[in-house]
Amino acid sequence: MADAVFLALSVITIGSAIAALEMRSLIYGSIALMGTLGGIAGFFFLLDAPFVALFQLAVYVGSIAVLILFTVMLVKRELIFKKIEDKRRKFAGIGLMLIIMVSLGAIFLDSGIKTITTDEPTVNFRDIGTDFVTYYWPALILMGLILASSVTGALVLARREDVENDQRIN
Amino acid sequence: MSVIAPNFKLSKFIQSLISDIVWALMIMTLIGLPIIMMVLFFIPMPVIDGELLTPFLAFTYLADPSRLLPIVQAFMTTDMFKVMAFPGFGFAALLAAGTIFVERKMLAKLQLRVGPFYCGKFEGILQLMGDGLKLISKEIIIPAKADKPIFWAAPVLFVASAAAFVALIPVAPGWVVADVDMGLLGVFAVIGFFPIVTILSAWSANSKFPFIGGIRALFQMVSFEIPLILSLLGVVMVTGTLNLSEIAASQSSFPWIVFLPVGAIVFFITMLAELERIPFDLPEAESEIVAGWLTELSGMMYGLVQLGTYLKLYAFAALFVVLFLGGWNGPMIVPPLPMEIATHGMEMGPVTVKISGLEPLLSQVITQEMLNGTLWFVLKTVGVIFFILLPRGVFPRIRVDMLLNLGWTKLIGLAFVNIFIALGLLYAGVLGPGGLQ
Repeated sequence: MADAVFLALSVITIGSAIAALEMRSLIYGSIALMGTLGGIAGFFFLLDAPFVALFQLAVYVGSIAVLILFTVMLVKRELIFKKIEDKRRKFAGIGLMLIIMVSLGAIFLDSGIKTITTDEPTVNFRDIGTDFVTYYWPALILMGLILASSVTGALVLARREDVENDQRIN
Repeated sequence: MSVIAPNFKLSKFIQSLISDIVWALMIMTLIGLPIIMMVLFFIPMPVIDGELLTPFLAFTYLADPSRLLPIVQAFMTTDMFKVMAFPGFGFAALLAAGTIFVERKMLAKLQLRVGPFYCGKFEGILQLMGDGLKLISKEIIIPAKADKPIFWAAPVLFVASAAAFVALIPVAPGWVVADVDMGLLGVFAVIGFFPIVTILSAWSANSKFPFIGGIRALFQMVSFEIPLILSLLGVVMVTGTLNLSEIAASQSSFPWIVFLPVGAIVFFITMLAELERIPFDLPEAESEIVAGWLTELSGMMYGLVQLGTYLKLYAFAALFVVLFLGGWNGPMIVPPLPMEIATHGMEMGPVTVKISGLEPLLSQVITQEMLNGTLWFVLKTVGVIFFILLPRGVFPRIRVDMLLNLGWTKLIGLAFVNIFIALGLLYAGVLGPGGLQ
């Protein structure tokens, strides 16, 4: 059962990733990208990590993919992209990808990942939270500061100075 | 002399009756019995109440309908029933349909109009059915240069997302379609799908009004998702769980709105924006951009989007009830069920009527707690829906810059205030271990 689901998810993820690259229509490409991200969320579900999976769905499919879709819709692609169709570049790209995939796969298989057996219970998200506020608290505070500064920076950048004061509310 | 049937003859009538009976018997023997045999041979039938359910047994139900009760009980405990009927789609669609009628009638009363009046004998009570029939019978028009696959898929996807949202809502103790540990995160994930479906539907229509409406919807939904998620974190902090059933059960003595009113207000406002209701109905502003992103939808496609919208409205109201108003918790007002009738039978003079399958049904499936919880849940949800509908008769539509300013500055700030209130209550020991709850 799990194997069949894993195979289906792999086909969906890799197939839609290829489709996202190869589709002529940018909109369909970004829909295919959503399929890829959703497939990765499915992998997290299979790994008994629903917390990560739902965040993957909420953040990547719900926000990042929407941003990409939104940008693509407002862009006339003829003005930005010039089609460089070159057989040699394409085959070189495929060859490079195959080399990287094969070498990465060889490294993974060589690393002894096959012999690992796990009987440990799945990590509860509450434990992760407890670890974050006790042992790893400097990392948490650092992340919080970085996020806060980036949000503040985004708000400052998005502020428009050229709007007349009487057009503003209040 | 009868005007309706001037050529009526009793002999012809009896002849036709006999002919009908002969045909029915013939069809039954030639088609019905082979079907029963095939069912018996190939399909494993369930064992219900110690008896194998066979089609021949089903014939005996005609003579004694009370023998159907174990089957009803077995069906009510299946997942299929939960998905289709009670806490799932059917229940939500019923409330959604009621909402549509109440909205039209109440809005009309607020504006000193009559509203739906002529359909049905009483106050246009059948208006909804008439509208549904009209929508089903209308032609579906696809714009000439529309992107057809996306345009066809969008209404279905919208209803599917809304139904997924409904599936996460617990109605009574144990009555929830999908009781997942990460229920609230699941809600956030499902909410993220609505802007995608909206913008895809708007873009695929290849028309300017839907596109403007879709972009407005995207702005609004994406920017109000942030205060929505932040405003719910306070509840997660004080309960320490993301499971919606556990959150509802944790409010047995106090609803969280008592302690976190700021979060409840922020969530209510963001809910109005997510639902595209007045005063945030910019995506469907009918006086500016025809009908917004719904402009090119016609016939039952429009009907599906409307169904999805009202399912979403029910789901948001129910989420408010579960998170802030205590869910199914409430005083026991449903009287105890008549168990002595179920166990000993009902005495009417010399005759004692005993219905055999009633006792397990009443003690296991339709219990007093379930009825009471459902009653309180429905009452609270209807109240919240009323407060969602009310601004439509009161407020004007606001500008898009006011909307974004409200969402990005005021509501996010208030949501953080709410988080600090929750933290303060926890650290002061008011809530949590050793506190009130």
